[in-house]
Amino acid sequence: MKRRNLLGLAGLSALAMAGCTSTPTNSGSSTNVNKLDAILPKYQPVDLVKPDIVVPPPAAPGFLSYPSTLVDAITTKPGKGGAPIKVTTLNWGTTPPGLGKNKYLDAINAELGVNMDFAINDGNTYSDKLTAILSARDVTDVLVVPSWNTNIPRFPEAVGTLFEDLTEFLKGDAVLKYPMLASFPKGAWQHCVWGGKLSAVPFVSDNPFAWGLFYRKDIFDAAKLAPPKTAEELYQLGKALTKSDAGQWAFGDITDYVQMIFKVPGSEGGWRVEGGKVVNKIETPEFMAALEFTAKLFKENMVHPDLVGDPNAGADQLFKSGKIAIWQNGLGGWQNTYRDQLKVNPNFKMLPMPVFAHDGSKPLVWGADEPIFYTFIKKGLGKERTEEILGCLNWCAAPFGTKEWELRQYGAEGVHFTRGPDRVPVTNDTYNNEYGNQYTFMSGRPAAITGGSDTPNFVQDYTTWTRGAVEHIEANPWAGIKFEEPTKLAQLNKPTQDKIKDVVRGRRPLSEWKSIVEDWKKNGGDEGREFYAKALNA
Amino acid sequence: MSVRPVWEEKPTVVGQAGKSTLLFLVTAAVIIPLWSVIVTSLSSRETIDRAGGMVFIPRGIDFSAYESLFATDRVTQALWVSFIVTIGGTALSITLTVLAAYGLSRPGSMWHRTLLFLFLLTFLFGPGLIPSYLLVTGLGLKDNLLSLILPTAVNAFNLIVLRAFFMNIPGELIDSARIDGAGEWRVLWQIVIPLSKAVIAVVALFYAVGYWNSFFNAILYLSDPADHPIQLVLRSFILQGQAPPGVSLPGTSVPPPTLAIKMAVVAVTVIPALIVYPFVQKHFTKAVLTGAIKG
Repeated sequence: MKRRNLLGLAGLSALAMAGCTSTPTNSGSSTNVNKLDAILPKYQPVDLVKPDIVVPPPAAPGFLSYPSTLVDAITTKPGKGGAPIKVTTLNWGTTPPGLGKNKYLDAINAELGVNMDFAINDGNTYSDKLTAILSARDVTDVLVVPSWNTNIPRFPEAVGTLFEDLTEFLKGDAVLKYPMLASFPKGAWQHCVWGGKLSAVPFVSDNPFAWGLFYRKDIFDAAKLAPPKTAEELYQLGKALTKSDAGQWAFGDITDYVQMIFKVPGSEGGWRVEGGKVVNKIETPEFMAALEFTAKLFKENMVHPDLVGDPNAGADQLFKSGKIAIWQNGLGGWQNTYRDQLKVNPNFKMLPMPVFAHDGSKPLVWGADEPIFYTFIKKGLGKERTEEILGCLNWCAAPFGTKEWELRQYGAEGVHFTRGPDRVPVTNDTYNNEYGNQYTFMSGRPAAITGGSDTPNFVQDYTTWTRGAVEHIEANPWAGIKFEEPTKLAQLNKPTQDKIKDVVRGRRPLSEWKSIVEDWKKNGGDEGREFYAKALNA
Repeated sequence: MSVRPVWEEKPTVVGQAGKSTLLFLVTAAVIIPLWSVIVTSLSSRETIDRAGGMVFIPRGIDFSAYESLFATDRVTQALWVSFIVTIGGTALSITLTVLAAYGLSRPGSMWHRTLLFLFLLTFLFGPGLIPSYLLVTGLGLKDNLLSLILPTAVNAFNLIVLRAFFMNIPGELIDSARIDGAGEWRVLWQIVIPLSKAVIAVVALFYAVGYWNSFFNAILYLSDPADHPIQLVLRSFILQGQAPPGVSLPGTSVPPPTLAIKMAVVAVTVIPALIVYPFVQKHFTKAVLTGAIKG
């Protein structure tokens, strides 16, 4: 090929690329689902086992002991024994063997009366997979979508085109045919409305809280320290706990939690209404104060050096090893880490600090009661098949205290678990190999916090914290409104996060923050403000 | 024995010390992380906890991470799939690339310019996720191992490297073969390929490493876990229990992997590539430079 031709090709491609990279045009959309009460299912609780510790919703109640007898809640098989129901779902972990090679699936499919055949995808790349299968209109009978993936482009359109309208199957009293689904709270169903139609079955969140600030109670006790009640006390703790010569630092990267301490808004990614005006967190004085405080922790070397370079560089291992004593994390991993660590360190004790505000005033807690997953049923399967699938989802939603719950959660006794002295199932390697949240993520269950002798006092500790935190959950002015965020705003998130990282780590001076905010406004921030203001008034 | 030409001066002590230090540092930058990965993968939970993460100084050997990695046939099955894809894919890719490169290296071959232009276009434009998915599913390749091979079977860069090398083979050699009655196939098979072993070996290595490391097509197209290649399976070990930030995963009671398991995963993934590398390394400079300076 001649040089001139090659140059021509390069020119052509540059032109074409310029055409391809024009500004995305999605300016976002919102639907107010508060106004759609008429199509929501009737709420009818299932009270099979009384909780020992009641916590106001959306936090989950606690059960201190395992029931001595389990209730057989669903006596007729929902399945008709026909062709397998194909399910696309996701998991974070190894993919268990498929149908025919998995005793866990066999046991539950026998109860369902129909085979469910799962294609389990990696949770971290699921949005790519969803984008491809939705665009290609290549969906299986059932599709599970996590709430944070419902912002992929043109998702509402895909819902209308590809998935069954479940309104007639579930609205009002119709849901009573599926009593376990009827026990889901109205708030969870509200989120399942797309385009005025009830389009999905929710996975009710048992954990509306974004973060907990975990500390190593065993280390605190040994040093005679107590959890802080103000930002200043947290700072003093940092000083007392950091002994870099001994390889100990006080903190992991706690940037997000510090924002909560300083009452920075967290709704819809950090928006609030201030005197009728919509404001983003990065514009607020609270955020500036949080930035200053976090930057001080980094500057005075109270944060483990590994986490200065990379905020995710094995913070969990550093916490387990006692190299850091305070760490922000979701509550979801608590029980597992606690159970696992007790095996090698009997003194190990981790607790989230009771929530507090920087000045000792009433705290603010970030949280949302949006379902974690949505389960959609493919359009055009026919009334009978859709009802069969809803029957299976009803089975999967059986609550704690039922035989169905135990089978779904732990598999079959003698195969996947043996019973401990407190009757709590103790799972084995077969379970670890075959369980991948297959039926769990599909329709969830009414939330419950349960423990066992392998995690002593966990249920009490958990519910004590949630009871203290739940009343301080920030009121979301946009509650009940579903969003498809404008593309420009969505694209701003990552660069802004990176700039926050740079500022708290001292790579950019704090004084630069003002100009960063100005750039943010110009590049889509103001557009986002208008979008959220409009949604509020719609 | 020194290979320095006689007219060059002897290096100074300082220069030699500097060079040695630099080489030592570069080598250490490669060896130390690898050492740490292997030592950590062979360490017990207690040792890792005491170290607070990666272990550099071993305290006893513990194979439990490898035992749990190979406890089920998941890893061995995935290794098998990866070997099939790598060997089959590389063979197919090399065959197609050699044939295409040879055709395009002969002046006056049919649609020579148009075809080359089309190949070069793929340099500049990827097909994008959705068109690729539509094509692969449209061809009925979903849940088929060919979906890992066919979409990436010919790489334009490798094609250009081979073509440049083929163009460099003296025309006289080929002409003399023709005079002796050889057709195009015989010229390719008996003249061009034997002279191009080095560059073919390197391109084969590029392809093989590409197939060995690829996982994303498997995420898109393969739903049966028995078909998953090793990279996808090992990735799932690493990511176990790692939810997106701010999301608490419900339901799961499978314990997250220890750091030892994660490092065992790294070792299992990297070692096959490390074993193959030295055998083709000597061809590297020659072949890559050929691609870089000819065109």
